[in-house]
Amino acid sequence: MQQLIPAIGFGLITASILAIAAVGFTLQFSVTNILNLAYGDIMTACAFAAYLANHAGVNIWICLVIAALFGAVFSMVLNRYVYFQFVRRGTRLFAMIIVTIAVSLIIQNVLLAIFRPTFFSYHADAGSSYHFGSMVFTGSQLAIMVIAVIAMLCVHVLFTQTKLGKAMRATATNPSLARSCGIATDRVIDVAWLLSGALCGIAGVVLVLNTATFSETTGAGFLVPIIAAAVLGGIGQPYGAMLGAITIGLAGEISAALISPAYKGVAAFAILIVVLLVRPQGILSEVADAKEVAA
Amino acid sequence: MLDVSLTGFPGAYIVRSSQLSDKLPLVRIKLKIERTGNRPAHLSVRASLAVSLAVVTAVVVAACGTTQSATPKTYTGTLTFASFNPFTGPDASFGPEMAAGCITASNLINQSSGLLGHQTECIAVDTRGDPADAVPAAQKMLATNTNLVGMNGPSSDEALATVPIINRAHIPMFADSGQAAFDKSTFAYFYRLTPPDDAAGVAMAVYAYKKGYRRGAAVFGNDLSSQGNVPNLLSAFKKLGGQIVLNQTLTLDQSSYRTEVQALIAAKPDVIFTEADPQTDAAYLSQLQQLGSLIPVIGTQPTVQPPWLKAVGGAIGNDNLAKYFAAAQPYAPSTGPAWDTYNTALLASVSQIPQPDQWSQDPYSETDYDAINIMALAMVMAKTPDPTFYNQYIPKVVASSSGATEVHSYKEGVDALAAGKTIQYVGPGGPVVFDQYRNSTGAFELVGYSADGSNPHLDTISAADVEKYRS
Repeated sequence: MQQLIPAIGFGLITASILAIAAVGFTLQFSVTNILNLAYGDIMTACAFAAYLANHAGVNIWICLVIAALFGAVFSMVLNRYVYFQFVRRGTRLFAMIIVTIAVSLIIQNVLLAIFRPTFFSYHADAGSSYHFGSMVFTGSQLAIMVIAVIAMLCVHVLFTQTKLGKAMRATATNPSLARSCGIATDRVIDVAWLLSGALCGIAGVVLVLNTATFSETTGAGFLVPIIAAAVLGGIGQPYGAMLGAITIGLAGEISAALISPAYKGVAAFAILIVVLLVRPQGILSEVADAKEVAA
Repeated sequence: MLDVSLTGFPGAYIVRSSQLSDKLPLVRIKLKIERTGNRPAHLSVRASLAVSLAVVTAVVVAACGTTQSATPKTYTGTLTFASFNPFTGPDASFGPEMAAGCITASNLINQSSGLLGHQTECIAVDTRGDPADAVPAAQKMLATNTNLVGMNGPSSDEALATVPIINRAHIPMFADSGQAAFDKSTFAYFYRLTPPDDAAGVAMAVYAYKKGYRRGAAVFGNDLSSQGNVPNLLSAFKKLGGQIVLNQTLTLDQSSYRTEVQALIAAKPDVIFTEADPQTDAAYLSQLQQLGSLIPVIGTQPTVQPPWLKAVGGAIGNDNLAKYFAAAQPYAPSTGPAWDTYNTALLASVSQIPQPDQWSQDPYSETDYDAINIMALAMVMAKTPDPTFYNQYIPKVVASSSGATEVHSYKEGVDALAAGKTIQYVGPGGPVVFDQYRNSTGAFELVGYSADGSNPHLDTISAADVEKYRS
């Protein structure tokens, strides 16, 4: 029981990483209705972009910005030249999922071919340890949490205070109606991919800062918790993704402390199943109902 | 036991029920007919003849599929050896390690005017370290490689699922699986030159105790390969007088292990025993470094492999790795004429093996090299690459006997056999002594890590010590 409070602290770190990634994932889905299962691999690609910069002597926090830019451009290009070509042909949701899986495998294997099957680390100092009661955080972990909070606030401000955010919400709710109202939905979709990619890039780097090493499969291995957080909150709901990330992050660490590390994944996903049994549309679900997600 | 004897047919067969696992339906047909007793009086002679012929045909078909045919299969073209191991996935480092041994041996065989007039090749078959992927990979390998005559692997990750399939296809396999389940293997085509995982666990415990550690923490990944070390590690350390203060099973590749690390710190161990994939151990140990301080770590052979060392060294710093790390691996002396031949050929294979020097002192690469040579020499003894014929010669290639000429390479073996001598192959992995289950286990060595990337020898744990504390 004495490990419960530290575990909550550790859970917050995991939740921060998950939140950045899950909000990016769900933001893009809400606007485009494409369940992008290559998201984890884009994270990895961004981590590699940061790695190259970092090993060229660039500070890791500047590398974070580079990864965000790389992720933004990569995601938008991926949509324009791959996904959108299928959408234009009327490819259905399930077929699009297969396309994203194919893209995921392509990215993974290209990274494998370029970087070879080994592990990589950043030149980055974890920083001093800081104690908050019985919780312990390193400097880089505190930075990760601050980045997550800032990212979430930016998303909140974007959605509630800007015309672009309102246009995104309108496109997410009903694209046809949004177009009829004069919203340039194609541009909105581009921006959604850019933002999602930027968050994906940030998530890739902070994930690696947390795990210390990475390989071509690291991001893909993190995809399931990302999707779980997004689904738990209500797929397509950025606020839901934040809530889902906190739930999954805390559940994993607390179960590891109270039950056994062997059940870490089990507890988090058991909660996911229970929540979805009670509330199939997820915790927050305004948009989900309006879209054809359940189908 | 059911014995079906057929005489009066071209090539008489004796089929034992134990050999008929893949033909059981046919045997059941036969048994059912036998249980019905004498044929009914109203059955015509023609009908009874037809039934008899059907039964005989069924049994002959079964027999043909399970026993050695009268003449060996004829091979044309290049003979194939497979490295059947994970080349991707968490245990991706296993495959290249194995392929290094296979390619080196194959190159030397080809340079020595080939194998019974054939060139040889090594193919890599990726099991991904997962039985779900390994089973179709094995089936595809067997179906598409008509000249497959032998193989290295499988590893612990996929051995339980694939050994029966490969055995049924009559392909001799030199497994690097450490699972204790194969300690008393009944598979006729299964061989193992390396100690089982549970023996590695004992060697880790003995070394830790010798170093004065009394409070151990077992931190192992939840994969089959890693968990195979745990039971005997726990019992041996306890038998020695130590105490396991924590036994953690890690879910692999999580983003955080801080809660697990916190529990470790609370248990106050003075040594960590571990095997997990590189990313897991790197995250775990770096988070231990952040939350407390590092303590000595004793790993298994996979932790000596370059990907693990690179990942963990990158995470905690190479200086810390050098200071705190040791690992138990099967002992291979890495000196002497056999090793010289192996190492020279290995280093010359740089176009096929990236960074070949990383496998120079790797006991698994060395025994994988030995395995190919042993199979090749058995083929030479049997005068055919047909596995159903040469399999029985494998133990004879390495058997110690008075008057046997000790040979240290394939070429020496071929020359000695041509001169009519009895041979005993002793490769870089050392002498092979198969028990009745075709297992050959030996001593362990403990190695450390140097900043230049080498693994200095720290200690040796004898085979007798391992057996003494093994359950």
